[in-house]
Amino acid sequence: MKRWLYQHQYALLVAVRRLKNQPFSSLCNILVISLSLAVPIVVAAILDTARPVLMQIPVSAEVTLYLDQEATARDAERIANDLRQQHANDIHSIEVITRDQALAELRERPAWAEALAVLSANPLPDAVVVTLQQNPDIAATSASLSAQWQAIPYVDAVQIDSTWVQRLQSILDFLGIGLWLLALGVAIVVLATVFNTVRLQALTQREEIAVARLVGATESFVRRPFLYLGALTGLLSCGLAILIAWSALQPLNATIERLASSYGTELALRLPDSVSLVLAGVVVAILGALSARWSVTRNTQF
Amino acid sequence: MIEFQHVFKSYGRGRNILADINFRIQPGEFIFVSGPSGAGKSTLLKLIGGLEPPSRGAIMINGHRSDRMSARARPYLRRAVGVILQDMHLLYDRNAIQNVLLPLSVAGQAPAQAIPRARAAMEKVGLSGKEDLNPVEMSGGEQQRLAIARAIVNRPSILIADEPTANLDEDSARRIMDVFRDFNRVGVTTLIASHDRELMAAYTRRTMRIEAGRFSDTEGAA
Repeated sequence: MKRWLYQHQYALLVAVRRLKNQPFSSLCNILVISLSLAVPIVVAAILDTARPVLMQIPVSAEVTLYLDQEATARDAERIANDLRQQHANDIHSIEVITRDQALAELRERPAWAEALAVLSANPLPDAVVVTLQQNPDIAATSASLSAQWQAIPYVDAVQIDSTWVQRLQSILDFLGIGLWLLALGVAIVVLATVFNTVRLQALTQREEIAVARLVGATESFVRRPFLYLGALTGLLSCGLAILIAWSALQPLNATIERLASSYGTELALRLPDSVSLVLAGVVVAILGALSARWSVTRNTQF
Repeated sequence: MIEFQHVFKSYGRGRNILADINFRIQPGEFIFVSGPSGAGKSTLLKLIGGLEPPSRGAIMINGHRSDRMSARARPYLRRAVGVILQDMHLLYDRNAIQNVLLPLSVAGQAPAQAIPRARAAMEKVGLSGKEDLNPVEMSGGEQQRLAIARAIVNRPSILIADEPTANLDEDSARRIMDVFRDFNRVGVTTLIASHDRELMAAYTRRTMRIEAGRFSDTEGAA
Protein backbone atom coordinates (compact mmCIF):
# COMPACT_ATOMS: atom_id res chain seq x y z
CA MET A 1 0.00 0.00 0.00
CA LYS A 2 2.81 2.39 0.96
CA ARG A 3 4.68 1.61 -2.27
CA TRP A 4 1.52 2.32 -4.24
CA LEU A 5 1.13 5.66 -2.46
CA TYR A 6 4.77 6.58 -3.13
CA GLN A 7 4.34 5.76 -6.80
CA HIS A 8 1.30 8.05 -6.93
CA GLN A 9 3.21 10.78 -5.09
CA TYR A 10 6.03 10.40 -7.61
CA ALA A 11 3.60 10.53 -10.56
CA LEU A 12 1.95 13.67 -9.17
CA LEU A 13 5.34 15.38 -8.72
CA VAL A 14 6.38 14.41 -12.26
CA ALA A 15 3.09 15.80 -13.62
CA VAL A 16 3.59 19.09 -11.75
CA ARG A 17 7.19 19.28 -12.98
CA ARG A 18 6.07 18.72 -16.58
CA LEU A 19 3.46 21.50 -16.24
CA LYS A 20 6.09 23.83 -14.75
CA ASN A 21 8.73 22.99 -17.35
CA GLN A 22 6.50 24.25 -20.16
CA PRO A 23 4.70 27.18 -18.50
CA PHE A 24 3.58 29.00 -21.66
CA SER A 25 2.25 25.88 -23.36
CA SER A 26 0.53 24.70 -20.14
CA LEU A 27 -1.03 28.12 -19.57
CA CYS A 28 -2.33 28.28 -23.15
CA ASN A 29 -3.98 24.87 -22.81
CA ILE A 30 -5.50 25.77 -19.46
CA LEU A 31 -6.77 29.08 -20.87
CA VAL A 32 -8.43 27.39 -23.87
CA ILE A 33 -10.22 24.90 -21.64
CA SER A 34 -11.17 27.45 -18.96
CA LEU A 35 -12.61 29.93 -21.48
CA SER A 36 -14.71 27.11 -22.94
CA LEU A 37 -15.81 26.07 -19.44
CA ALA A 38 -16.65 29.63 -18.37
CA VAL A 39 -19.44 29.91 -20.97
CA PRO A 40 -21.69 27.14 -19.55
CA ILE A 41 -20.94 28.35 -16.01
CA VAL A 42 -22.25 31.83 -16.92
CA VAL A 43 -25.30 30.33 -18.67
CA ALA A 44 -25.92 28.12 -15.62
CA ALA A 45 -25.66 31.22 -13.40
CA ILE A 46 -28.30 33.00 -15.51
CA LEU A 47 -30.61 29.98 -15.46
CA ASP A 48 -30.12 29.43 -11.73
CA THR A 49 -31.03 33.04 -11.04
CA ALA A 50 -33.94 33.30 -13.49
CA ARG A 51 -35.72 30.07 -12.54
CA PRO A 52 -36.59 30.98 -8.90
CA VAL A 53 -37.79 34.41 -10.04
CA LEU A 54 -40.07 32.81 -12.58
CA MET A 55 -41.43 30.41 -9.98
CA GLN A 56 -42.75 33.41 -8.03
CA ILE A 57 -44.64 34.79 -11.04
CA PRO A 58 -48.09 33.28 -11.76
CA VAL A 59 -47.76 31.40 -15.00
CA SER A 60 -51.50 31.10 -15.74
CA ALA A 61 -52.60 33.43 -18.53
CA GLU A 62 -54.39 36.50 -17.28
CA VAL A 63 -56.38 38.95 -19.44
CA THR A 64 -57.17 42.35 -17.92
CA LEU A 65 -60.03 44.46 -19.29
CA TYR A 66 -59.55 48.15 -18.44
CA LEU A 67 -62.84 50.04 -18.56
CA ASP A 68 -63.17 53.64 -19.63
CA GLN A 69 -63.66 56.43 -17.14
CA GLU A 70 -67.45 56.61 -17.81
CA ALA A 71 -68.01 53.02 -16.66
CA THR A 72 -69.26 52.45 -13.12
CA ALA A 73 -68.46 49.65 -10.67
CA ARG A 74 -71.86 48.18 -11.53
CA ASP A 75 -70.85 48.08 -15.24
CA ALA A 76 -67.70 46.23 -14.26
CA GLU A 77 -69.72 43.62 -12.30
CA ARG A 78 -72.13 43.22 -15.21
CA ILE A 79 -69.31 42.68 -17.71
CA ALA A 80 -67.71 40.11 -15.35
CA ASN A 81 -71.01 38.17 -15.06
CA ASP A 82 -71.52 38.23 -18.86
CA LEU A 83 -68.05 36.88 -19.46
CA ARG A 84 -68.53 34.18 -16.82
CA GLN A 85 -71.70 32.97 -18.56
CA GLN A 86 -70.50 33.25 -22.16
CA HIS A 87 -67.02 31.75 -21.74
CA ALA A 88 -67.45 29.35 -18.82
CA ASN A 89 -65.21 26.71 -20.46
CA ASP A 90 -62.32 29.08 -21.05
CA ILE A 91 -62.39 30.99 -17.78
CA HIS A 92 -60.90 29.77 -14.52
CA SER A 93 -61.78 32.82 -12.39
CA ILE A 94 -62.78 36.47 -12.68
CA GLU A 95 -61.99 39.30 -10.31
CA VAL A 96 -63.24 42.87 -10.44
CA ILE A 97 -60.77 45.46 -9.19
CA THR A 98 -62.40 48.81 -8.73
CA ARG A 99 -60.47 52.02 -9.28
CA ASP A 100 -60.55 52.66 -5.51
CA GLN A 101 -59.06 49.24 -4.76
CA ALA A 102 -56.36 49.80 -7.38
CA LEU A 103 -55.52 53.22 -5.93
CA ALA A 104 -55.31 51.83 -2.41
CA GLU A 105 -53.00 49.06 -3.62
CA LEU A 106 -50.71 51.54 -5.36
CA ARG A 107 -50.56 53.80 -2.32
CA GLU A 108 -49.06 50.91 -0.35
CA ARG A 109 -46.01 51.01 -2.64
CA PRO A 110 -43.56 53.71 -1.49
CA ALA A 111 -42.42 54.48 -5.04
CA TRP A 112 -45.96 55.42 -6.06
CA ALA A 113 -47.27 57.00 -2.86
CA GLU A 114 -45.64 60.41 -3.40
CA ALA A 115 -46.75 60.66 -7.04
CA LEU A 116 -50.37 59.76 -6.20
CA ALA A 117 -50.49 62.28 -3.35
CA VAL A 118 -50.24 65.22 -5.76
CA LEU A 119 -53.19 64.04 -7.89
CA SER A 120 -56.57 65.65 -7.23
CA ALA A 121 -58.64 62.74 -8.57
CA ASN A 122 -58.18 58.97 -9.03
CA PRO A 123 -56.86 58.50 -12.61
CA LEU A 124 -57.15 54.70 -12.50
CA PRO A 125 -59.89 52.78 -14.33
CA ASP A 126 -62.02 49.90 -13.05
CA ALA A 127 -60.65 46.60 -14.25
CA VAL A 128 -61.88 43.05 -14.78
CA VAL A 129 -59.08 40.48 -14.37
CA VAL A 130 -59.86 37.18 -16.12
CA THR A 131 -57.74 34.13 -15.37
CA LEU A 132 -58.04 31.62 -18.20
CA GLN A 133 -58.12 27.82 -17.92
CA GLN A 134 -54.75 26.21 -18.69
CA ASN A 135 -54.54 24.56 -22.09
CA PRO A 136 -51.75 23.87 -24.59
CA ASP A 137 -52.99 26.67 -26.89
CA ILE A 138 -53.31 29.23 -24.13
CA ALA A 139 -51.47 31.89 -26.15
CA ALA A 140 -53.87 31.51 -29.12
CA THR A 141 -56.96 31.34 -26.85
CA SER A 142 -56.01 34.46 -24.91
CA ALA A 143 -55.30 36.35 -28.16
CA SER A 144 -58.67 35.35 -29.67
CA LEU A 145 -60.69 36.20 -26.52
CA SER A 146 -58.95 39.52 -26.01
CA ALA A 147 -59.82 40.50 -29.60
CA GLN A 148 -63.51 39.63 -28.91
CA TRP A 149 -63.56 41.44 -25.58
CA GLN A 150 -62.11 44.60 -27.03
CA ALA A 151 -65.53 45.15 -28.71
CA ILE A 152 -67.53 45.04 -25.43
CA PRO A 153 -69.05 48.44 -24.55
CA TYR A 154 -67.16 50.40 -21.85
CA VAL A 155 -64.00 48.32 -22.44
CA ASP A 156 -61.18 50.76 -23.16
CA ALA A 157 -58.23 48.35 -23.43
CA VAL A 158 -57.51 44.64 -23.15
CA GLN A 159 -54.12 43.43 -21.96
CA ILE A 160 -52.81 39.87 -21.95
CA ASP A 161 -50.76 39.86 -18.76
CA SER A 162 -48.92 36.58 -18.38
CA THR A 163 -48.28 35.11 -21.78
CA TRP A 164 -44.79 36.61 -21.67
CA VAL A 165 -44.06 34.57 -18.58
CA GLN A 166 -44.89 31.37 -20.40
CA ARG A 167 -42.80 32.45 -23.36
CA LEU A 168 -39.93 33.25 -21.02
CA GLN A 169 -40.37 29.86 -19.36
CA SER A 170 -40.17 28.20 -22.79
CA ILE A 171 -37.02 30.21 -23.57
CA LEU A 172 -35.49 29.12 -20.25
CA ASP A 173 -36.39 25.49 -20.97
CA PHE A 174 -34.75 25.88 -24.35
CA LEU A 175 -31.69 27.44 -22.71
CA GLY A 176 -31.61 24.53 -20.25
CA ILE A 177 -31.36 22.07 -23.14
CA GLY A 178 -28.82 24.39 -24.76
CA LEU A 179 -26.77 24.30 -21.58
CA TRP A 180 -26.50 20.51 -21.79
CA LEU A 181 -25.47 20.72 -25.44
CA LEU A 182 -22.95 23.40 -24.50
CA ALA A 183 -21.60 21.16 -21.72
CA LEU A 184 -21.24 18.33 -24.26
CA GLY A 185 -19.32 20.66 -26.57
CA VAL A 186 -17.06 21.75 -23.71
CA ALA A 187 -16.45 18.10 -22.80
CA ILE A 188 -15.25 17.51 -26.36
CA VAL A 189 -12.98 20.58 -26.11
CA VAL A 190 -11.51 19.20 -22.84
CA LEU A 191 -10.98 15.74 -24.37
CA ALA A 192 -9.36 17.10 -27.53
CA THR A 193 -7.10 19.62 -25.78
CA VAL A 194 -5.87 17.20 -23.12
CA PHE A 195 -5.40 14.47 -25.74
CA ASN A 196 -3.17 16.72 -27.80
CA THR A 197 -1.27 18.04 -24.77
CA VAL A 198 -0.50 14.51 -23.59
CA ARG A 199 0.41 13.39 -27.12
CA LEU A 200 3.01 16.16 -27.33
CA GLN A 201 4.24 15.43 -23.80
CA ALA A 202 4.58 11.72 -24.60
CA LEU A 203 6.69 12.56 -27.65
CA THR A 204 8.84 14.94 -25.57
CA GLN A 205 9.26 12.35 -22.80
CA ARG A 206 10.06 9.49 -25.18
CA GLU A 207 13.56 9.01 -23.75
CA GLU A 208 12.33 9.11 -20.15
CA ILE A 209 9.65 6.52 -20.93
CA ALA A 210 12.22 4.26 -22.61
CA VAL A 211 14.58 4.52 -19.60
CA ALA A 212 11.74 3.89 -17.14
CA ARG A 213 10.80 0.72 -19.04
CA LEU A 214 14.48 -0.30 -19.10
CA VAL A 215 14.68 -0.17 -15.30
CA GLY A 216 11.45 -2.12 -14.83
CA ALA A 217 8.60 0.37 -14.97
CA THR A 218 5.16 -1.12 -15.54
CA GLU A 219 2.87 0.46 -18.12
CA SER A 220 0.78 1.84 -15.23
CA PHE A 221 3.88 3.60 -13.91
CA VAL A 222 4.54 5.11 -17.35
CA ARG A 223 0.93 6.19 -17.82
CA ARG A 224 0.28 7.55 -14.31
CA PRO A 225 2.07 10.95 -14.59
CA PHE A 226 0.16 11.63 -17.81
CA LEU A 227 -3.14 10.80 -16.10
CA TYR A 228 -2.27 13.24 -13.33
CA LEU A 229 -1.27 15.80 -15.97
CA GLY A 230 -4.70 15.46 -17.61
CA ALA A 231 -6.54 15.63 -14.29
CA LEU A 232 -4.48 18.61 -13.09
CA THR A 233 -5.05 20.45 -16.37
CA GLY A 234 -8.79 19.84 -15.98
CA LEU A 235 -8.84 20.96 -12.34
CA LEU A 236 -6.78 24.10 -12.90
CA SER A 237 -8.90 24.95 -15.94
CA CYS A 238 -12.09 24.53 -13.94
CA GLY A 239 -10.75 26.78 -11.16
CA LEU A 240 -9.76 29.44 -13.68
CA ALA A 241 -13.12 29.08 -15.47
CA ILE A 242 -14.97 29.76 -12.21
CA LEU A 243 -12.82 32.87 -11.70
CA ILE A 244 -13.49 34.05 -15.27
CA ALA A 245 -17.24 33.41 -14.90
CA TRP A 246 -17.32 35.26 -11.57
CA SER A 247 -15.45 38.21 -13.13
CA ALA A 248 -17.85 38.25 -16.10
CA LEU A 249 -20.88 38.32 -13.77
CA GLN A 250 -19.70 41.44 -11.92
CA PRO A 251 -20.39 44.01 -14.69
CA LEU A 252 -23.60 42.13 -15.62
CA ASN A 253 -24.74 42.31 -12.02
CA ALA A 254 -24.11 46.04 -11.81
CA THR A 255 -26.54 46.55 -14.71
CA ILE A 256 -29.10 44.02 -13.50
CA GLU A 257 -29.15 45.46 -9.98
CA ARG A 258 -29.87 48.94 -11.36
CA LEU A 259 -32.69 47.54 -13.52
CA ALA A 260 -34.15 45.48 -10.65
CA SER A 261 -34.03 48.39 -8.19
CA SER A 262 -36.07 50.52 -10.63
CA TYR A 263 -38.80 47.86 -10.21
CA GLY A 264 -38.41 47.99 -6.43
CA THR A 265 -36.83 44.54 -6.25
CA GLU A 266 -33.40 42.95 -5.88
CA LEU A 267 -31.83 40.61 -8.38
CA ALA A 268 -28.25 39.45 -8.87
CA LEU A 269 -26.65 36.72 -10.96
CA ARG A 270 -24.84 34.22 -8.77
CA LEU A 271 -22.51 31.36 -9.62
CA PRO A 272 -24.04 27.89 -9.25
CA ASP A 273 -23.77 26.54 -5.67
CA SER A 274 -20.40 25.31 -4.42
CA VAL A 275 -21.42 21.62 -4.54
CA SER A 276 -22.23 21.95 -8.25
CA LEU A 277 -18.95 23.76 -8.89
CA VAL A 278 -16.92 21.11 -7.03
CA LEU A 279 -18.79 18.40 -8.94
CA ALA A 280 -18.01 20.19 -12.22
CA GLY A 281 -14.31 20.30 -11.21
CA VAL A 282 -14.31 16.57 -10.45
CA VAL A 283 -16.05 15.72 -13.74
CA VAL A 284 -13.60 17.86 -15.75
CA ALA A 285 -10.62 16.29 -13.90
CA ILE A 286 -11.96 12.79 -14.66
CA LEU A 287 -12.51 13.76 -18.31
CA GLY A 288 -8.93 15.08 -18.44
CA ALA A 289 -7.55 11.86 -16.94
CA LEU A 290 -9.59 9.67 -19.32
CA SER A 291 -8.46 11.66 -22.32
CA ALA A 292 -4.85 11.48 -21.10
CA ARG A 293 -5.10 7.71 -20.71
CA TRP A 294 -6.49 7.33 -24.21
CA SER A 295 -3.73 9.55 -25.61
CA VAL A 296 -0.82 8.02 -23.68
CA THR A 297 -1.92 4.47 -24.57
CA ARG A 298 -1.94 5.42 -28.25
CA ASN A 299 1.26 7.45 -28.23
CA THR A 300 3.69 5.44 -26.11
CA GLN A 301 3.72 2.22 -28.12
CA PHE A 302 7.38 2.26 -29.06
CA MET B 1 20.74 -18.75 -13.00
CA ILE B 2 20.45 -17.95 -16.71
CA GLU B 3 19.64 -20.69 -19.20
CA PHE B 4 19.04 -20.54 -22.96
CA GLN B 5 17.59 -23.58 -24.75
CA HIS B 6 17.52 -23.55 -28.57
CA VAL B 7 16.94 -19.82 -28.68
CA PHE B 8 16.48 -18.10 -32.04
CA LYS B 9 16.00 -14.41 -32.64
CA SER B 10 15.12 -12.68 -35.88
CA TYR B 11 13.33 -9.45 -36.76
CA GLY B 12 10.35 -9.88 -39.02
CA ARG B 13 11.13 -12.44 -41.74
CA GLY B 14 14.80 -11.43 -41.84
CA ARG B 15 17.78 -13.68 -41.16
CA ASN B 16 18.39 -15.04 -37.68
CA ILE B 17 20.40 -12.64 -35.51
CA LEU B 18 20.80 -15.50 -33.05
CA ALA B 19 20.41 -19.15 -34.05
CA ASP B 20 20.04 -22.15 -31.78
CA ILE B 21 21.74 -20.64 -28.74
CA ASN B 22 22.21 -22.97 -25.78
CA PHE B 23 24.04 -22.16 -22.56
CA ARG B 24 23.73 -22.09 -18.80
CA ILE B 25 25.23 -19.51 -16.45
CA GLN B 26 25.43 -20.29 -12.76
CA PRO B 27 24.67 -17.65 -10.11
CA GLY B 28 27.69 -15.45 -9.33
CA GLU B 29 29.58 -16.14 -12.58
CA PHE B 30 31.52 -13.42 -14.38
CA ILE B 31 31.14 -13.85 -18.13
CA PHE B 32 32.51 -12.04 -21.12
CA VAL B 33 30.46 -12.27 -24.31
CA SER B 34 32.89 -11.64 -27.12
CA GLY B 35 32.64 -11.41 -30.85
CA PRO B 36 32.89 -8.98 -33.72
CA SER B 37 30.48 -6.08 -34.23
CA GLY B 38 27.10 -7.26 -35.49
CA ALA B 39 27.65 -10.81 -34.17
CA GLY B 40 24.53 -10.62 -31.97
CA LYS B 41 26.08 -9.75 -28.57
CA SER B 42 23.70 -6.83 -27.88
CA THR B 43 20.69 -8.90 -28.94
CA LEU B 44 21.76 -11.67 -26.57
CA LEU B 45 21.96 -9.21 -23.65
CA LYS B 46 18.55 -7.72 -24.55
CA LEU B 47 17.02 -11.21 -24.44
CA ILE B 48 18.55 -11.82 -21.00
CA GLY B 49 17.32 -8.42 -19.76
CA GLY B 50 13.79 -9.12 -20.98
CA LEU B 51 13.98 -6.10 -23.25
CA GLU B 52 13.02 -8.23 -26.23
CA PRO B 53 11.35 -11.63 -26.56
CA PRO B 54 12.99 -14.50 -28.45
CA SER B 55 11.51 -15.69 -31.74
CA ARG B 56 11.81 -19.29 -30.60
CA GLY B 57 13.26 -21.29 -27.71
CA ALA B 58 13.18 -21.11 -23.94
CA ILE B 59 14.90 -18.58 -21.67
CA MET B 60 15.06 -19.22 -17.94
CA ILE B 61 16.02 -16.30 -15.66
CA ASN B 62 16.26 -17.03 -11.93
CA GLY B 63 13.97 -20.03 -12.38
CA HIS B 64 11.28 -18.25 -14.44
CA ARG B 65 10.51 -18.73 -18.13
CA SER B 66 11.01 -15.14 -19.30
CA ASP B 67 9.91 -15.98 -22.87
CA ARG B 68 6.50 -16.97 -21.57
CA MET B 69 6.06 -14.00 -19.26
CA SER B 70 3.09 -11.74 -19.82
CA ALA B 71 3.67 -8.08 -20.67
CA ARG B 72 2.51 -7.26 -17.13
CA ALA B 73 5.07 -9.56 -15.48
CA ARG B 74 8.08 -8.62 -17.64
CA PRO B 75 8.82 -5.30 -15.82
CA TYR B 76 9.35 -7.24 -12.59
CA LEU B 77 11.97 -9.41 -14.34
CA ARG B 78 13.71 -6.24 -15.53
CA ARG B 79 14.03 -5.07 -11.94
CA ALA B 80 16.02 -8.21 -11.14
CA VAL B 81 18.42 -7.57 -14.02
CA GLY B 82 20.58 -4.44 -14.02
CA VAL B 83 21.09 -3.34 -17.62
CA ILE B 84 23.76 -0.98 -18.96
CA LEU B 85 23.29 -0.39 -22.65
CA GLN B 86 25.92 0.90 -25.03
CA ASP B 87 24.41 4.42 -25.28
CA MET B 88 23.75 4.58 -21.49
CA HIS B 89 20.27 6.17 -21.78
CA LEU B 90 20.89 8.80 -19.10
CA LEU B 91 18.28 11.54 -18.62
CA TYR B 92 19.76 14.97 -19.19
CA ASP B 93 16.81 16.95 -17.82
CA ARG B 94 17.75 16.00 -14.24
CA ASN B 95 20.86 15.68 -12.11
CA ALA B 96 22.96 12.58 -11.44
CA ILE B 97 21.24 11.41 -8.25
CA GLN B 98 17.80 11.82 -9.81
CA ASN B 99 18.94 9.50 -12.60
CA VAL B 100 19.99 6.91 -10.01
CA LEU B 101 16.72 7.37 -8.07
CA LEU B 102 14.57 6.42 -11.06
CA PRO B 103 14.63 2.60 -10.56
CA LEU B 104 13.78 3.11 -6.86
CA SER B 105 10.83 5.35 -7.75
CA VAL B 106 9.70 2.71 -10.24
CA ALA B 107 9.82 0.14 -7.42
CA GLY B 108 7.81 2.45 -5.12
CA GLN B 109 10.62 3.14 -2.64
CA ALA B 110 9.98 5.91 -0.09
CA PRO B 111 12.23 8.94 -0.74
CA ALA B 112 13.60 8.70 2.82
CA GLN B 113 15.04 5.25 2.04
CA ALA B 114 15.67 5.78 -1.65
CA ILE B 115 17.97 8.80 -1.37
CA PRO B 116 20.53 7.10 0.96
CA ARG B 117 20.49 4.04 -1.31
CA ALA B 118 21.09 6.17 -4.39
CA ARG B 119 23.97 7.96 -2.61
CA ALA B 120 25.45 4.59 -1.59
CA ALA B 121 25.22 3.33 -5.19
CA MET B 122 26.99 6.46 -6.43
CA GLU B 123 29.66 6.02 -3.79
CA LYS B 124 30.23 2.41 -4.87
CA VAL B 125 31.01 3.53 -8.41
CA GLY B 126 33.20 6.41 -7.20
CA LEU B 127 30.82 9.28 -7.88
CA SER B 128 30.52 10.65 -4.35
CA GLY B 129 30.08 14.42 -4.34
CA LYS B 130 28.80 14.47 -7.93
CA GLU B 131 25.14 13.93 -7.02
CA ASP B 132 24.01 17.39 -8.12
CA LEU B 133 25.85 17.44 -11.43
CA ASN B 134 23.92 17.11 -14.64
CA PRO B 135 25.18 14.11 -16.67
CA VAL B 136 26.28 16.49 -19.45
CA GLU B 137 28.77 17.98 -16.99
CA MET B 138 30.40 14.57 -16.49
CA SER B 139 33.13 12.84 -18.47
CA GLY B 140 32.41 9.74 -20.56
CA GLY B 141 33.78 7.47 -17.83
CA GLU B 142 31.72 9.18 -15.15
CA GLN B 143 28.55 8.90 -17.27
CA GLN B 144 29.26 5.19 -17.71
CA ARG B 145 29.68 4.80 -13.93
CA LEU B 146 26.46 6.74 -13.40
CA ALA B 147 24.67 4.27 -15.68
CA ILE B 148 26.18 1.44 -13.59
CA ALA B 149 25.01 3.10 -10.36
CA ARG B 150 21.47 3.27 -11.79
CA ALA B 151 21.69 -0.38 -12.83
CA ILE B 152 22.83 -1.63 -9.41
CA VAL B 153 20.78 0.63 -7.11
CA ASN B 154 17.91 -1.90 -7.04
CA ARG B 155 20.42 -4.62 -5.97
CA PRO B 156 19.83 -6.84 -9.02
CA SER B 157 20.98 -10.46 -8.98
CA ILE B 158 22.18 -10.16 -12.58
CA LEU B 159 24.13 -7.33 -14.14
CA ILE B 160 24.55 -7.07 -17.91
CA ALA B 161 26.57 -4.44 -19.73
CA ASP B 162 26.93 -3.86 -23.44
CA GLU B 163 30.40 -2.57 -24.39
CA PRO B 164 30.75 -0.57 -21.16
CA THR B 165 34.33 0.48 -21.90
CA ALA B 166 33.91 1.44 -25.54
CA ASN B 167 35.22 4.95 -26.25
CA LEU B 168 36.93 5.17 -22.84
CA ASP B 169 40.62 5.63 -22.19
CA GLU B 170 42.56 2.74 -20.63
CA ASP B 171 42.47 4.15 -17.10
CA SER B 172 38.72 4.83 -17.15
CA ALA B 173 38.07 1.40 -18.69
CA ARG B 174 40.02 -0.29 -15.89
CA ARG B 175 38.07 1.62 -13.21
CA ILE B 176 34.78 0.58 -14.81
CA MET B 177 35.89 -3.05 -14.94
CA ASP B 178 36.98 -2.89 -11.29
CA VAL B 179 33.47 -1.78 -10.39
CA PHE B 180 31.98 -4.81 -12.19
CA ARG B 181 34.50 -7.14 -10.53
CA ASP B 182 33.56 -5.75 -7.09
CA PHE B 183 29.86 -6.42 -7.69
CA ASN B 184 30.62 -9.90 -8.93
CA ARG B 185 32.61 -10.60 -5.77
CA VAL B 186 29.47 -10.04 -3.69
CA GLY B 187 27.55 -12.59 -5.76
CA VAL B 188 26.06 -10.62 -8.63
CA THR B 189 26.03 -12.63 -11.86
CA THR B 190 27.80 -10.38 -14.36
CA LEU B 191 27.74 -10.52 -18.17
CA ILE B 192 29.76 -8.08 -20.21
CA ALA B 193 29.64 -7.85 -23.97
CA SER B 194 32.93 -6.68 -25.35
CA HIS B 195 35.24 -7.16 -28.30
CA ASP B 196 38.27 -5.83 -26.37
CA ARG B 197 40.54 -8.89 -26.12
CA GLU B 198 43.12 -7.13 -23.91
CA LEU B 199 40.43 -6.20 -21.39
CA MET B 200 39.12 -9.77 -21.29
CA ALA B 201 42.65 -11.06 -20.82
CA ALA B 202 43.19 -8.68 -17.89
CA TYR B 203 40.03 -9.92 -16.16
CA THR B 204 40.37 -13.60 -17.03
CA ARG B 205 36.95 -15.18 -16.67
CA ARG B 206 34.69 -17.50 -18.65
CA THR B 207 34.24 -16.14 -22.17
CA MET B 208 31.40 -17.01 -24.52
CA ARG B 209 32.31 -16.29 -28.12
CA ILE B 210 29.55 -15.48 -30.54
CA GLU B 211 29.93 -15.15 -34.27
CA ALA B 212 27.23 -14.61 -36.90
CA GLY B 213 24.53 -15.39 -34.36
CA ARG B 214 26.04 -18.71 -33.20
CA PHE B 215 28.28 -19.71 -30.33
CA SER B 216 31.61 -20.78 -31.71
CA ASP B 217 33.25 -21.77 -28.44
CA THR B 218 33.20 -21.28 -24.69
CA GLU B 219 36.45 -20.86 -22.91
CA GLY B 220 37.60 -20.36 -19.32
CA ALA B 221 35.82 -21.52 -16.21
CA ALA B 222 33.53 -20.08 -13.58
